[in-house]
Formats: sequence, C-alpha cells, structure tokens
Amino acid sequence: MNTLNSRGARAALVALAAGSLVLTGCSENKGGNSGKDSKKDQKEAAVQSKAVAYEDAAASTGPAEEVPGARSGGTIQVYQEAGLTHLDPGQIYVSDAGQVANLLFRGLTNFQEDGKGNVSVVGDLATDSGKSSDGGKTWTFTLKDGVKDQNGNPITSADIRHTIERQYAKFIFDGPTYLQTWLSGADYRKALPDGGFGDKHLPASVLDTPDEKTIVFHFDTARPDLPQTLAMPGYTVVPEETDTKEKYDKAPVSTGPYKIAEYKVGKSLKLVKNDQWDPKTDPVRHQYVDGYDFDFGVTESTQTKRLISDQGASKNAIQLTGAVESTQIQDVVGDPAVSKRTIKGYQPYVMTLTFNLDRVKNKKVRDAITYAVNSKSLIAGEGGAYGGDVAPNLFAPTLPGYEAGYDPYGRLKTPAGNLAKAKELLKDVPAAEKKIVHAYRNNEAGQKHKVAVEDALTKAGFDVVSKEVDAASFYEQVGKLDNPYDVYITGWGQDWPSPATVVTPVYDGDQVADGSPNYSHIDDPKVQALIKKALVQEPEEAEATWKEAHRYILEKVNPAAPLWYTKQFQLYGSNIGGARYSTESSYIDVNQLFLKS
Amino acid sequence: MLQFIIRRTVGAAVTLFLIGAATFFLFVAAPSDYASLSCGKDCSPQRLEDIREALGLNLPLAQQFWDFMSGIVVGRDFPGEHCPAPCLGQSFYSSDLVWDTIKDRFPLTLSLTVGATVVFLVLGLGAGMLAAFRRGSPVDKVATGASMVLSSFQIYFLGPIALMIFVYGTGIMEDPKYVPLTEDPVGWLVGLSIPMVVMATIFTAQYTRMARSSLIEQLAEDHVRTARAKGMSQRYVFFRYAWRGSLIPIVTILGIDLSSLLGGAVVTELTFSLQGIGRLAVDGAVHKDLPLTMGVMLVGAFAILILNILTDIAYAWIDPRVRLS
Repeated sequence: MNTLNSRGARAALVALAAGSLVLTGCSENKGGNSGKDSKKDQKEAAVQSKAVAYEDAAASTGPAEEVPGARSGGTIQVYQEAGLTHLDPGQIYVSDAGQVANLLFRGLTNFQEDGKGNVSVVGDLATDSGKSSDGGKTWTFTLKDGVKDQNGNPITSADIRHTIERQYAKFIFDGPTYLQTWLSGADYRKALPDGGFGDKHLPASVLDTPDEKTIVFHFDTARPDLPQTLAMPGYTVVPEETDTKEKYDKAPVSTGPYKIAEYKVGKSLKLVKNDQWDPKTDPVRHQYVDGYDFDFGVTESTQTKRLISDQGASKNAIQLTGAVESTQIQDVVGDPAVSKRTIKGYQPYVMTLTFNLDRVKNKKVRDAITYAVNSKSLIAGEGGAYGGDVAPNLFAPTLPGYEAGYDPYGRLKTPAGNLAKAKELLKDVPAAEKKIVHAYRNNEAGQKHKVAVEDALTKAGFDVVSKEVDAASFYEQVGKLDNPYDVYITGWGQDWPSPATVVTPVYDGDQVADGSPNYSHIDDPKVQALIKKALVQEPEEAEATWKEAHRYILEKVNPAAPLWYTKQFQLYGSNIGGARYSTESSYIDVNQLFLKS
Repeated sequence: MLQFIIRRTVGAAVTLFLIGAATFFLFVAAPSDYASLSCGKDCSPQRLEDIREALGLNLPLAQQFWDFMSGIVVGRDFPGEHCPAPCLGQSFYSSDLVWDTIKDRFPLTLSLTVGATVVFLVLGLGAGMLAAFRRGSPVDKVATGASMVLSSFQIYFLGPIALMIFVYGTGIMEDPKYVPLTEDPVGWLVGLSIPMVVMATIFTAQYTRMARSSLIEQLAEDHVRTARAKGMSQRYVFFRYAWRGSLIPIVTILGIDLSSLLGGAVVTELTFSLQGIGRLAVDGAVHKDLPLTMGVMLVGAFAILILNILTDIAYAWIDPRVRLS
C-alpha cells in the first residue's frame, strides 16, 4: 500500500496503492502459482473474517508469547517510498504511520493476533479490553501498574483524558474522529474548542477519571465497538506533561518498546530501544532488535530490486507498507529462494463501480452494468492475481461476516462480465437511460479503469461518456451530492474489523451529505434500521444483522457493483525472522520481527 | 564592477519575485489543493474547512502570497514555531520549515553536482582536447565515436544497469547513499560514486564533442595561424591562444548545466533513491505542497541567477575584450 498519506481513510490510500502498482508496468502474471496462492488467500480469509473477540485481564498480561527461534540484537532496515505525514498519535490515521505507531505508542487497548488469522482485542495500557455496563453505553478501563513513558513518568488517567481531549483542538485535523463524535456529536470541536489545554474539560458525565487509574466513557447509545476503536493508532496516549501541541508531530514521546533517536522528516527515522517499556505489561509487542532504521524515498521498484538481490544491508530489510512492484512479480515468484521471503494476504479494501442513485434510478440499468463490468481486465491492471481478486460481493475477505460464496451476480463464474445477461436486462430500457457518464481519475490507474469500464459497458449496449477528474480531488468531486456523474470507481476499507466501519459510512442514508463516503447516496429505511440494530449488538451477534444488511443492499438496492478485492504482496530480507502477514494491518507484522544472525 | 553587482542584484531580486509570483498563481490555479488531497474520502465540508484553516489556505490569495514573500525577508510565525528569515514557509505535508529541509537536502545535490562536474570536465575536456589536437587520427575517431554513443544514453537507462551490475548483481558496492563529506570523506566518495560516474558519463560525452568542435574552430582562427607562423611551439599556441578562446561556449553551457543540476538532478535522485533537491521538487508537486514547491523553485532560480553572474565574470576573465560594465 502506498502511503501516501491522505487523511481519511485508509481507503483513500487504496486508489493510490493501486495506482502505484499500475504505474510501474503492465506485466501479466503468467506465473504458475498465482491461482494456488489465491486459493490459499481465500482459505486464510475464512479465518480472518471471524468476529473479533474481547479478551480478559489474563490475556492482557505481558509478556507477549515468544516468537519461535527469536534472538536479540541488530537493527532492521525499513524501506518506504514516501515519508510519514505525521507522528503525533492524534494525527495518525493512515497505514504507514500506523505501522510505526505500533513500535512507539500504546493505547488503552490493542489488537492481538495468533498468526492463523484470528484477531482479538486485549488491554494494552488497560488491564483488559474494557468493561461495559448500562447496556453498552458506559465503558470502564483500568490502567495497569508499571506503564510509563520514555522519560519514566507513569501513565495516569489524566494522560488518557488529555489524549482524548486534545483531539478536539483545531491543530489535530488528520486523525480519526469516531470517539470525539460519539462523545460530543458531529460538531464535537465546539464542545471543547481549546482541546482541554485550558481549564475547561469534558464533563464527568461524558468522560470521567475518578482516580489515577480509572477512565470511564459515557455514551448516549451503546458502543460495542469501543475496544476496537481505542486500538486505533490515532487514540494512543500522549502524556499530558510532554505535549508540545503542533511541535509534538516531530518529536512525540514514546510509550512502546522503541523511541525516536533521530527523525529527519521525509528522509530518515531511527528508532532505538525504550528502556522504560516493561514487557511484563505488554501482551503484544516484543523488543528483539536493538532498533529500526527507516529510509524514506526508496521507490517500490528499488525496494523490490534491493530485496531480490538480498545483498548487504538488504538482508536485514523489510518493506513497511510498500509492495512488490508489479513488473518484478515474476522475478519474485519465479525464484523459490526469493518467493519464500514474501508475505501475502488480502487488504481490507473492496473496489466497486459505484452508482449515483440520484441519476441511475432504474435498477435494471444498475444490474445490467453490474453484470457487464469486467473485473478480470481491471485486476490485470493491478498486477494480476498478486494485486487483487475478483470481488463477488461488497464485504472484503478481512471483514467479519464475509461470505466467500455469496455471489448474487455470478461474478466468480464470469469474471470478465456476463454480457448476455446485461443485454437481456437492457431489452426494455429506453435509450436515454443507456447513456452513462463515467468519472475516472486523471492518472495512469484511472486511464486503465476508463478503458476497461468503457469497453465492457459499450459491448453491453451502453452509450458511455467518460469524464476525466483530477486524481487528487477525485473523492471530493464524486463526493458532491450534485455531482454530474453516473458511475465512478471507489474503494473503502474497514478501520477495524467490523462491518460498522464499512456499512455505516458507505451505505447509511443518514450519511448522505456533501463529502460523505456514501457516494451512491443510498437512503433506504430498511438498511438504516438494520444498521441501527447492528450498531448496538455485540460483535458476534451483530454479524448476522450485518450479513442481512449486506444481502439486502446488494440484491435489492444494488448501489455499487463489486469489482475486486485488493491484495498485499511484500518482500523481506533473508536475515529477517518472525515475518508474518498481519490480519489487522494487512502488512508485515512489525511486532514479531527479529534478526536471525 | 560595483555598478555591475548592484545592477545584477536588483535584477535578480525582481526575477525571483516574478518567478515566485508565477509559481504561486500557477499552483493555486490547479483544480485541487493540499487540503483536498489530505482530506481524503471522508471529507465533509467542515473537515475541509478545518484543514484549510489550519494550513492558512482560507486566507485571501494575495495575503497568502504576501505572507510567503515577506517571510523571506523578515521571517514568519507559525503555530508553535518561529521561522526566521529567509523563511520559505512551512511544508503542508511534513510541517517542517522549508528552508531547513532545503538546507538538509542541498549538500547531497551539491555533492552530486560537484563530483560529477569534476569527472566530466576532466574527462570530457581532456578527450575533446586530445581529439582536436589529433584531428583525424584514430584517437579522434574513438573519442568522437564514443561520445556519440554515450551522449545518446540517459541516466534512467545507465543508472539501473550500473546498479544491476555493481550492487544487485555482484554486490561489489552498497546501495548509493549520502554521507556528509565532513564526517567521512571516503564514505562520501564511495556512497555517491555510482551516481556521480553515471551522471558524469552522460555529460562527458557532451563536453568531449563540445570541446573538440570549439577547439577545432579556434585552431583555424587567424590569430592562431599567425602565432604558429611566428614560430611559437604548437603546444604553446594550443594552450595560450586556442584553448582559452574555446572556453567561451564551454563556460556558457557549463553555467546552464550547473544551475540545472543544483536546481535538482531529479532523474538521478529518483534512479538512485537519493534525497536531494530534485526529489523535494517532485514531492512538492505530488503532494500539492505549495510552500515546498515555492521554496525549491526559488532556490533553483537563485542558483541559476548566481551562476549567470559567475558566467559573466568568467567571460571577462577569459576574454579581456568583454567588460562587465
């Protein structure tokens, strides 16, 4: 995944990531293992899509389980194309900074993985994943003993309060907004304009810290996903005494196993061990290596070449969020010695051809387009089977509730499109409704999308008008309610493993507004009712409700034609030990790494 | 001389102002800005406004431009940070002061430029002189032929080949990297040797051809023939009269080449994953980072102006008939 660090939405990155694969070439995957790998990925996805479990105090106690064969010492070299936009935890929302945050910062909770695709939430700074009461409207967390920042100062409930309140300040504008919105509403900044830096604080009826160890959240509705929300890097702790406001972005204080030794923005980052981190308090992280050297500005092409050659420092190197460059995929999969040093798996993103329901009102037309689109040619532009897989529905394989066989439009059987079915549906459709305006990005990826969509729809009998849109402001343009387009390719991925972070923002009628990710403008009472029901259910119970909503949306409304799931394919050096795919981040799991010699 | 310096300084200031204005207004005329890019998908109008306000993009354009340009002279204040003169603003993307970033990246670009220039001047001018001196000989033919072939190569072609052979293939050398000359002179030379040599290879070919043709032209001049007729040695005439006269076009082109290299050897830096001024220029454009783009453009323009002045001074030194006034 490219980094590029647009705010919002890890999903925003998907287009850029896809672009980065496409930019570098149009090689076709002829490799023999791609089909086998895809099946393996799908099998692993079945495990990944289980509901996340919330763990108790026993599971939240450190140290983390030893990685087999792990040894201490050495420095891991990290290659990354773009520099980090932010290092202030409150400003972190995207994957590259999220990976770094995992090494530096701790929050109340964290995700724990077992390496088999199962994900759970454990207490990180908190003793457990949280205790809910009052029907899920109140959540209580208790801080562990012995948790300190890099200066040796203990983390207290005041630090947690400060961490949350500073998110209301105007200088924090790039991080997640879930928690603030839940606590104070959509206009949350007005509730605490100075971000808690003055005398005013959130009232105890919203956020209470009755003693140094206890934090209590009060919501106006049940928030069963809170333990997962708090595991986001954007909610990791900023100790109050160390907060330097805007300056904190360049010199944040660590609470995790590593701390910053030197940071040259956009150029390099050196991490060394944080001797104040106590492994007995941390059930997830390790501190095997002495440090990490991040080298920014290394293109994915160069990363791949260096790691294939496996010479010198590259033996100790990893890709942070970069992927194997598409033109070199064959060099990687064709050499068993290189291929065994790879990480593969699904990313949480689903790419869809989204319909503007205000313009494409006839469901027959939407269904015909859904049948006609050619996922196969679009995926070829993403690097083939290593860049993406055919998406038969709107849930990513990493999402709880994902059903691999749920394929209402027969996409798996006809990945290149079912033109006969599309033509049949269009028989009685007036010519005026067959004119489709397709908006595409003015970059190389967008050009490929344009060709594939135009070709498929024209063959089905549509009159396609393609409109170029500035790639940088693409989502802003298609996010306008009165946008003049009928269809556009968009992508979305979960912020944590819950359909609540997909179905709600993308398909909830309450979200229809300028700039909202509900790009289809779907506003259906049944969908809204199901969303409301699922949001207050415990994750396992909610899974069935989300599935029902998913099926209704795709079959009865069809606001977006599923196209492809994005995939991750990374390479690492031969001296790296413990490398594994992280289900939660969909990149290499930085918590497990060591150097073999 | 004083009049020359005053005139050129005033001219340079006006030129920089105009370049700054052109860059600024062309940039803001683009259909999107950093706020749109940063706002991402979940981009409500309020969120977009928050970002614009945080970056100062909500202010009138004229005020934004004035704040930027006046900051160069008197400095500026940003939230939590003072930016002393010459302040080139604060990067939208990294929130680093642009002047600090340029100061951090410039040594690499300067190292590449100086290293490659030394190599291509020595080799290119040497080969050109030899070819002109031995015109029509096998030496001339080899030099001319080689320069023809090499000048048709590009850095994005030679660079990856050099990396494939010396780094990824044989492992004889490490990946190119920058180590400050003051910290480790050997590390500096070794770390940048591949990009320097690749850059120099392209330029060597050009300078060989240029030096040869310029020298041949000078050797055919009346004053050179007269000097020879007066019994001066061939070597003396070559260096005393022909060589000096041939330097004018070479210095002109060298001034242009150096200024473009100091403004950022974009392809070289991208090919070898080095973080110099060229890379900054690309980052600025990709991220719609107005202050960074403005800063890099102005520094590049400044380099061109300084080198133009140095070129004019060099003309006067080479040919006393040229007067700075």
